[in-house]
Amino acid sequence: MFSFTKEQTTYDISGISIGGQPGMYPTVLFGGLFFKGEPDFEDAKRHIQTSDERSKQTGVPVIPDFFIRKVEYIEPILSFIEKAIPKKHPFSIDIIEPSIKIQTLEQLASRKLLPRTIYNSIHIGMTKEENEALRTYTPEAAIIVAFNPKDKSPDGKIEVLENGAHLLETGLLELAHQIGIEKTLIDTAALAPGENSGAAIAALPVIKEEYGLPTGCAIHNVVEKSRWLNDFPFAKKTVDVASNNAIPLFGGDYAIFGPMENAELVVPLIAWQDILVSEYTENYFGISPVASHPRRKLLK
Amino acid sequence: MKQHVHTSVIGSYPISITTQDLMNDYFAEQQTSWTQYIEQAVHDMTAAGITYISDGQTRDPFIQLFTRKLNGCRIRQRTEIIGRVEHHTPITVPDQIYTKRLLPRHVMLIGVLTGPYTLTKSSVDSFYHDEKQLAFDFAAALRKEAELLLKHVDLISIDEPVFSNELPEYANELIQTITKGLSRPTRLHVCGDVSGIIPQLVDMPVDILSHEFKASPHLFNVFQEYPCNRNMCIGSVRSDDAVVESVEDIVTHVNKAIAIFDKNVVQIAPDCGQRLLPRTIAFQKLKNLAVAGEILNGG
Repeated sequence: MFSFTKEQTTYDISGISIGGQPGMYPTVLFGGLFFKGEPDFEDAKRHIQTSDERSKQTGVPVIPDFFIRKVEYIEPILSFIEKAIPKKHPFSIDIIEPSIKIQTLEQLASRKLLPRTIYNSIHIGMTKEENEALRTYTPEAAIIVAFNPKDKSPDGKIEVLENGAHLLETGLLELAHQIGIEKTLIDTAALAPGENSGAAIAALPVIKEEYGLPTGCAIHNVVEKSRWLNDFPFAKKTVDVASNNAIPLFGGDYAIFGPMENAELVVPLIAWQDILVSEYTENYFGISPVASHPRRKLLK
Repeated sequence: MKQHVHTSVIGSYPISITTQDLMNDYFAEQQTSWTQYIEQAVHDMTAAGITYISDGQTRDPFIQLFTRKLNGCRIRQRTEIIGRVEHHTPITVPDQIYTKRLLPRHVMLIGVLTGPYTLTKSSVDSFYHDEKQLAFDFAAALRKEAELLLKHVDLISIDEPVFSNELPEYANELIQTITKGLSRPTRLHVCGDVSGIIPQLVDMPVDILSHEFKASPHLFNVFQEYPCNRNMCIGSVRSDDAVVESVEDIVTHVNKAIAIFDKNVVQIAPDCGQRLLPRTIAFQKLKNLAVAGEILNGG
């Protein structure tokens, strides 16, 4: 547990604080929805309610992360967001296909949802059309995936943020700045075992110290790709949930987990870890946790 | 005896990288594959009819291509030296092995190394504070890479463009650190205006000297002043100009070289790597170079 010498940026994203020195704010969780199959809105509503309850109990914020796989899902998912997510609460949209990203941005704008939107994500694969759409329909915040296909180490991740690793004309941070996105969250791009999977965790403090920006990742994806764990079905879920612990322990600000139903387990786990970090960083570095921090809420 | 020149490239070839594909691999949690880019470069060079080809150096600019995989180097805006420079893993070997598999039998493969002095001068040194020591550690690392390449390539080419701006007094020893006793022919490519360092170049411990005679035709006159029995690779099409030289123009240019170097003209090539040219232009230049080579060889 440590503190950074670089001044740390904290963003308020539609009422949720993210970033800062370890121990100051609770770790923010992004809970994934609709990654597989047809979107099941009843199921999603139930899981969001549960995560809200756990969040209120512990102080660990949970932001729903909506995966939109097909064009025909855009309209129903955005309608669901309007109905099921409390007004002013942020959410993220998680889309791979650039054309779906563009159409979703247009619809988010027409529904006046952009001030609550965290765009997941900006990366080296951004098309010219997506870039133009983002300039026209600029979301409140964006996650920047620091994936560098040439170098998967923390240095490689910094390179792609800094100068685009000679794959882009500019670095991803400058790209986001040029678009006009003011709140950028760095994703350290977790990779499968055998592809320097540990680098996503090692990069958390390196990038925080370099830029002072809120930083996190979807480390549970590494568990998904650890095929050997299929021989340990009982342990696999525990490992999946526990993997998120590494993020606050290494100074990270947010964890993207999934599916959202795991919130029942992940939220208390992160609250526990946040308390551990906070106790040390306040005693040693004098970092006081905010009133909403799990340490304030749970240790009376 | 009939003249015989080989056609060659220097190193890089312009292939555009589809970053969306690279991200799709990432999202699909698949390992990044670079083979399609190597294949495109190799396809163009062989389809053009070039006999000595490279892997196209498509992964990175020629500095980062090496410093990315050497101990002691850290990539930021430039390469930063933060520890002792050492070879710890094959750098270009896997791509060369893959490239070799793509080649017809009569096509030769060049293992291209970025020279130690160019690597030194392109880095920000926060560790050695001794340029010579850094250069020799780069050379030692490149020697290890060269040894690993021997099994897979037909020629080792060292690319030292910085020599044309600044030739250290230890340049010969530096190059020898890499080339001494290698079982494959070696080539030293120094682009730019080398007219001021020709006496030193002709003594370099390599088998072939390679220079940009097309952009700097006055080099012919300067070389005439020095007795030079070295084998030569004659830069015959420009790498910094999108105008495609005609076959006749290339033949005339190389005949000038033959008048000076005679049978020592063993290769004709672009003046430098072609990375900065549009792909169609780079390809057409290689094609014309290959046709000129056939004419010069009496074909």
